[in-house]
Amino acid sequence: MGARRPYKRTMSRTSWFLTHARFKSYMLHEASSIFVALYMWLLIDGLFRLAKGPEAWAAWIAFIKHPLVVVISLIAFAFFIVHTMSWFKAVPQAMRIQTGEHFVDGKLIIGGHYAALGAFSLFVLILAGVA
Amino acid sequence: MSTRTIQLEVLRYRPEQDKEPVFQTYTVPCEEEWVVLDALNYVKDEIDRTLSFRWSCHMFVCGSCGFKIDGEPKLGCKAFLRDYDDKIRVEPLDNFPIERDLVVVIDDFVEKLQSIKPYIIPKEAKELSAGEYLQTPAQLKSFKQYSMCINCLLCYSACPQYGLTDQEFIGPAALALAHRYNMDSRDVGRSAREDVLASHEGVWECSFVGACSVVCPKDVDPAGAIQQAKFTSAVDYLTSMVGIGGK
Repeated sequence: MGARRPYKRTMSRTSWFLTHARFKSYMLHEASSIFVALYMWLLIDGLFRLAKGPEAWAAWIAFIKHPLVVVISLIAFAFFIVHTMSWFKAVPQAMRIQTGEHFVDGKLIIGGHYAALGAFSLFVLILAGVA
Repeated sequence: MSTRTIQLEVLRYRPEQDKEPVFQTYTVPCEEEWVVLDALNYVKDEIDRTLSFRWSCHMFVCGSCGFKIDGEPKLGCKAFLRDYDDKIRVEPLDNFPIERDLVVVIDDFVEKLQSIKPYIIPKEAKELSAGEYLQTPAQLKSFKQYSMCINCLLCYSACPQYGLTDQEFIGPAALALAHRYNMDSRDVGRSAREDVLASHEGVWECSFVGACSVVCPKDVDPAGAIQQAKFTSAVDYLTSMVGIGGK
């Protein structure tokens, strides 16, 4: 046993994700959530402005109509779709529904989520007077 | 007799002579149906007897021959040569110290496995003569997938959290097994496993990269088990806060 000299390898804390395509895609996915967070911040800001009064609200509306903000919002929307899809895709793994000796097909669970998303989006659009 | 010749690049580490691991290339005449483990055994038998690697069953049951093959954690007995180019790189599993050549030190995993109490903790211990603890097929189904683990450690090799936390994270296989026993209708050990499972190094260290489930050769889906255990852990925490307690 005296000859034992295990070789310890270390993992770079700053570049580990460059070692595999799977990790790169994971990190890009995680990083893209910054846009989602930015958009949430924009929405919450809007709520505060709405509470402040008509002038603040009008200024906020003008702000979100600015071309740069529109571009950022579109990017955020694209990532919202990406994150929604990856979240829904993970649901059957995290939430298994068992009936008797079988599990409900994951595709059904995912489909149910998309249906709920569609119904809720339609409800919001009707509420906003768009649809 | 052989139908193909491959170059097998093997990461060697001989503690008595190597300061750090180095690659050594072997030219191996192969048969069409061979797996990487066959090629390694050919090297061991015919070319270089000093090459060290673990293996036992050659039929993905024992979980001994996990290697990193062309950058991906695989069982040597399940990696068919026909799926690879003529140059194949074989390395020891990531995230574990290298004992020698392709043999890694797995003591840390064995300790972690013990820490989650991987056995049924019954409500009342019965005498052997009292017979089995009965279970319906539906109750078995609820956890059976998670009991298929062969402790091959491919998931630990694939898991960046295990590497980044310097082996602090309890890790995919042990957590999936903890979940397997928690789900078992014959078991009441959930609170006994909670200290480990719900700790910072437990399920909450998992950031759901999901690599463990991708590389698992037995379709155990440890990532799924951990997400489910997170939910149970959160519910346990909330119920204990309002004083109603769990299982």
